[in-house]
Amino acid sequence: MSKEKEKAAQDQSRKGGNGKGAAAPVGAVMVVGGGVAGIQASLDLANSGFYVHLVEAKPAIGGVMAQLDKTFPTNDCSMCILSPKLVECGRHLNIEILAPAEVQSISGEPGNFKVQVAQPARYIDLEKCIGCGLCAEKCPQKVPDEFNQGLAMRKSAYVLYPQAVPQKYAIEKETCIYFRKGGKCKACEKFCPADAVDFEQKDQVRELEVGAVIMTPGFQTFDPAKYSSYHYAQFPNVVTSLEFERILSASGPFAGHLVRPSKDRKEPKKIAWLQCVGSRDVKTHSYCSAVCCMYAIKEAVIAKEHAPYDLDVAIFFMDMRTFGKDFEQYYNRAKDEQGVRFIRSRIHTIDAAPNDDLLITYLDESGEKKSEIFDMVVMSVGMEVSRKAKQLAQTLGVDINQHDFVNTTPFAPVDASKPGIYACGAMQGPKDIPESVMQASAAAGAVSATLGEVRWTKTKVRETPPQKDIRPEDQPRIGVFVCNCGINIGGIVDVPGLRDYAASLPNVVYTTDNLFTCSQDTQGQITKIIEEENLNRVVVAACTPITHEALFRETMIDAGLNKYLFEMANIRNQDSWVHMKEPEKATEKAKDLLRMAVARASLLKPLVEKPLTINQRALVIGGGVAGMNAALNLGDQGFETIILEKEDQLGGNARRVHHTIEGQEVQGYLEDLIEKVGNHPKLQILTGALVVGFSGYKGNFTTEVLVGPAMYERKIDHGVTVVATGGREYRPREFSYGEHPRIMTQLELGDFLHEHPEEAAKWQRVTFIQCVGSRNKENPNCSRICCQGAVKYALQLKGLNPEMDVMTLYRDMRTYGFLEDYYRESREKGVLFSRYKLEDPPQVEVDGDQLSVTFVDHVLERPIKMPVDAVILSAAALPNDTEELASLVKIPRNAAGFFIEAHAKLRPVDFASEGIFLCGMAHSPKLISESIAQSMAAASRAGAFLADTTQTISGVTAYVSPERCAACLVCVRSCPYHVPQITGDNVSEINPALCQGCGTCASECPAEVIQVSHFEDDQIAAKIKTLY
Amino acid sequence: MIKAIPKPIEEIIENVKDCDKLLIAGCDGCVTVCEAGGLKEAKILASALRLYFTQGGKQAQVDDTSLTRQCEKEYLAQLSDRIDQYDAVVSLACGCGVQYLAEMYDKKVIYPGVDTCFMGVNEERGLYSERCQACGRCILAETGGICPIARCSKRMLNGPCGGSDKGKCEVSKDVPCGWELIYERLKTVGQLDRFENPTVPKDWTTSRDGGPRKIVREDLRI
Amino acid sequence: MRLQYPPNVRIIEVPCTGKVDINHLLMAFEVGADGVIVVGCLEGDCHYMAGNLHAKKRVSRVKGILDRVGLGGERVGMYNLSSGMGGRFAEIVREMTEKIMELGPSPIRKATGTALKAAGEVAA
Repeated sequence: MSKEKEKAAQDQSRKGGNGKGAAAPVGAVMVVGGGVAGIQASLDLANSGFYVHLVEAKPAIGGVMAQLDKTFPTNDCSMCILSPKLVECGRHLNIEILAPAEVQSISGEPGNFKVQVAQPARYIDLEKCIGCGLCAEKCPQKVPDEFNQGLAMRKSAYVLYPQAVPQKYAIEKETCIYFRKGGKCKACEKFCPADAVDFEQKDQVRELEVGAVIMTPGFQTFDPAKYSSYHYAQFPNVVTSLEFERILSASGPFAGHLVRPSKDRKEPKKIAWLQCVGSRDVKTHSYCSAVCCMYAIKEAVIAKEHAPYDLDVAIFFMDMRTFGKDFEQYYNRAKDEQGVRFIRSRIHTIDAAPNDDLLITYLDESGEKKSEIFDMVVMSVGMEVSRKAKQLAQTLGVDINQHDFVNTTPFAPVDASKPGIYACGAMQGPKDIPESVMQASAAAGAVSATLGEVRWTKTKVRETPPQKDIRPEDQPRIGVFVCNCGINIGGIVDVPGLRDYAASLPNVVYTTDNLFTCSQDTQGQITKIIEEENLNRVVVAACTPITHEALFRETMIDAGLNKYLFEMANIRNQDSWVHMKEPEKATEKAKDLLRMAVARASLLKPLVEKPLTINQRALVIGGGVAGMNAALNLGDQGFETIILEKEDQLGGNARRVHHTIEGQEVQGYLEDLIEKVGNHPKLQILTGALVVGFSGYKGNFTTEVLVGPAMYERKIDHGVTVVATGGREYRPREFSYGEHPRIMTQLELGDFLHEHPEEAAKWQRVTFIQCVGSRNKENPNCSRICCQGAVKYALQLKGLNPEMDVMTLYRDMRTYGFLEDYYRESREKGVLFSRYKLEDPPQVEVDGDQLSVTFVDHVLERPIKMPVDAVILSAAALPNDTEELASLVKIPRNAAGFFIEAHAKLRPVDFASEGIFLCGMAHSPKLISESIAQSMAAASRAGAFLADTTQTISGVTAYVSPERCAACLVCVRSCPYHVPQITGDNVSEINPALCQGCGTCASECPAEVIQVSHFEDDQIAAKIKTLY
Repeated sequence: MIKAIPKPIEEIIENVKDCDKLLIAGCDGCVTVCEAGGLKEAKILASALRLYFTQGGKQAQVDDTSLTRQCEKEYLAQLSDRIDQYDAVVSLACGCGVQYLAEMYDKKVIYPGVDTCFMGVNEERGLYSERCQACGRCILAETGGICPIARCSKRMLNGPCGGSDKGKCEVSKDVPCGWELIYERLKTVGQLDRFENPTVPKDWTTSRDGGPRKIVREDLRI
Repeated sequence: MRLQYPPNVRIIEVPCTGKVDINHLLMAFEVGADGVIVVGCLEGDCHYMAGNLHAKKRVSRVKGILDRVGLGGERVGMYNLSSGMGGRFAEIVREMTEKIMELGPSPIRKATGTALKAAGEVAA
């Protein structure tokens, strides 16, 4: 989009219409796609005052992430980290999940869309279904389980996966016997204890009014059957990477036992991964799928961990593209420590070998032909846009690119071509989880910036009765509710016996058992019983507090009881499920667990969650592209924002970048951005500003700044902080840098090409040297952006003089995603690429005015010396020096000096310290478009924090009884968050707004004067003392 | 402050093994700060001793408490109404506290629960080092604020001995030479000329010459 | 996952192993636990940054105490698991149970005559 057009589009969207003087915008948003990106966008929006309709094509949200076993580079269990978000989404008062559902049509304009959503019948009443699974158990129809990639069977009545949200079953019409055989079967209906099966349900179409639409339908994996020479469809032990994830998963078809799918179910001794299956291939998809190198390494490493024997794993690849934050170290560990073999060769054919084994023939790097037999071969399949996703783009009327992904521009990375419609996640381009999450937050930020004025207009508020006053001297009156969980508990544990046992415990005045304590009608009953029996404590013996404590706590609130007066005994996940064969012992254990829960319940205290006051101003540290975009978005959301820039002008590194690889003018964009920032009524810019002090906590920070040449001191109070301190180009110490004017870095070349294109056009031969100061001992990180930089400048040089010899000496070309197309274009235009090894780098010689480069040709295996006109060093991207700032703000940095986010996968722009956010090169090297997306994400998260003025401080915090405090500093020194402080009265004080409630200080205090509310020593001791 | 470390539990067991009723008395002063004898340590020791007695088949009573400071009669008096029920008391206070407790309850057997080490500073959590030996006549003004008595292994008073090597003491390479420190410090504060005046032989009468020391502050007494 | 493990473990939830007090561990033995395990996040992955490292030190001190008072330090152990390692948890419980069976009942329980059980403390 041209600048003018872009501006016009934005103006139009600001006005909320196309000049027709439309009605006020709608404070509701539709998110299409319930994968991790859709979930993140929904949560960000719902938490910041918008009502969200989350539309998912499958019967449950979760997307592909729910299918993964582990996630790179931290090897976190995928489901473990996703599950809390699923639960939060499922329980959110302001998120309506429509699943399964599909968008049919859209009309209206930005701010006032009308969207028709088709909801096929589920044949299960969501209100009644208690998720017990009896329907699936009794259903006689087995069908392949798509969640397990067809490696296992499920029933026609099914739940997508065990942790699915909503935790409700569905009946698949296409396979159901009742529908196919006309009225026969109905086994599910017969056995359903909740009367939830409804064969009369009809498909529905709903019309929803929303102010904006975020589309994030995700991706599908490439079907490797398209490569006939791989025989994926014929050979049982050729599997896709997603199938392999399911094989590794503990909840997968083989319960996490590493076996191959052929009939022998043998434990594989040798597994190969083939990279770029459906990627980097003009016959299928020319782009790079960006994630396969990392997931292949992860799967190889995890497979080795799974196997109780020495498993041989080999990855066949072309370029190892481990370009993300901390990825290169992950690759190095796999290669050097974990014994993963990396073989640089693209495999053409997989041949059959006896016993379902597989033969791979390849040329190794020296050109020697080799053959190896593997037990299993994993196809590292790429990402592609599904037919349905493409259809969605067409339905919504947004442009797609030549690969069918939604078209966006580098400077507006989440704006689809139609105003008011945004795209994020893998539908915008192949990307990994954190990039998707960042974009999702960015899309939420873009929506907030246009709909900020109608926040909280469509949201619901929970009505709660006044809280009863429970005093410490009141005798505890405990009600115990024992759950059968269908047959999950009742089938093993003697639930009636347990219920009667509960009645004999101290302070217990009421006991009952329920078929499903979590069902909606039971919540109503509990509320009634609390009132009738005048209960002041409630104990539920059921499943796990991880999924259900929040629900029961809400019931407490509905009954006017403080939510902290609730206790759970986990007699399912930690008892009936894990002692199925020993029912008597399970019952005995259930009694103990219940007795312990009751003992603790008697000592529970009501806790007050104090409201958190939030200063509505934001502070952005850093005035580069990232900082300015973050500030601009916050300003557009309506928040007063101050930008601190240490230099005397805004712009940062972007001042030295002239165009993007796509050909977009950076300087024009930058000028425009600086002007917008400068003229924005909500923004204030302080240049020449140095942070010298930082104090306070989330919602209430104070930053001390020295400003300008006069260094006058300013104190700024603010509620959130965005750190966007940026990066810099490494100043090479190698390759004779500094000894000749035409040995330049990429940024220097960019300036030179800008200022003296006619000089450069005269060059006959230019050599780029990649990985200068990256991927070596001193700096093991990949700098991510230099490969595309080299390609970009090589294309520019070829454009100036098509006859110019341009040679790129590289180690792995890492042109991920659509950047691959430019890499291919440069080869087509005659740019040469020659690989060098870290231990055998090229030599640059300066002889007077003459320059020459010597490199080892990897085909000829001999050194070649050539005179050149210029040597371009692709120097590393390093973070700016933030040592002092990091120590002032108390935010962590990694060995390279990049800031460490709260969670590499799911909290990529948050710091662990709440209210502080991160974006741009300060996080890791990235392209301008990626910096913009991340800065909008940071602004979105920061804005959501500011907008949510109903936040409270958790009741579970540490407190000091000051009388005996020795001011010994042990708490001060042991708190991982630096919260306790010694006051002027010489006693320790813990700010509950900052305390995370871990309890470390309490258990270290030598005077025993610190307690953690809700986990007080007597409450824990009560459980221990009643163990026997 | 005074620095102490918990005594090995077997040493305490050896002392108390024949007792039936024991009190573990922590002190909220210095020994709490150095994590050797506060209420937490008292509870840990009491629990450990109960385990010891029970596993040996004996039902002994082991209670715990902590006093504000065991070097004060008024605080020790808080035990007066309950101390008689115990066979013995293990005091986790410094040596002063243990003795004062024993003095106050002269018929009661009192055992120490910590080893009192020195007067020093907390460099960081769990790292304490000696700074003062209470000689009774402070010379820090002459030595740049670094005490040669506490910091020089030989308590040299007029410069380093021949064993000082590259700033380290001959006793151990990990020990800085006290006099090297003094020299550097005097240089930093521009007082190297103090080296021109040799220190006269120190009057040690204030430092354990003539038995246990006593301070009488008439200005404070009525 | 529903992996089966011996039914003689009782789990006490704490917010973080950083909250597991030495006195809680000793108390469990006083009331008759044959063994106690503390299960925290993987080292370096503590949800609260370093709670598990504090817990590790405390467990090692309790080991020393148990050795000296005649119960044996092998009755207490610290394990580090991620929430995705349910299989390993089941394995640990089995291993600990086998170890306890080998060691026999705690001398405390022999002296006081309480029934056979083991306790565990797990960070949520």
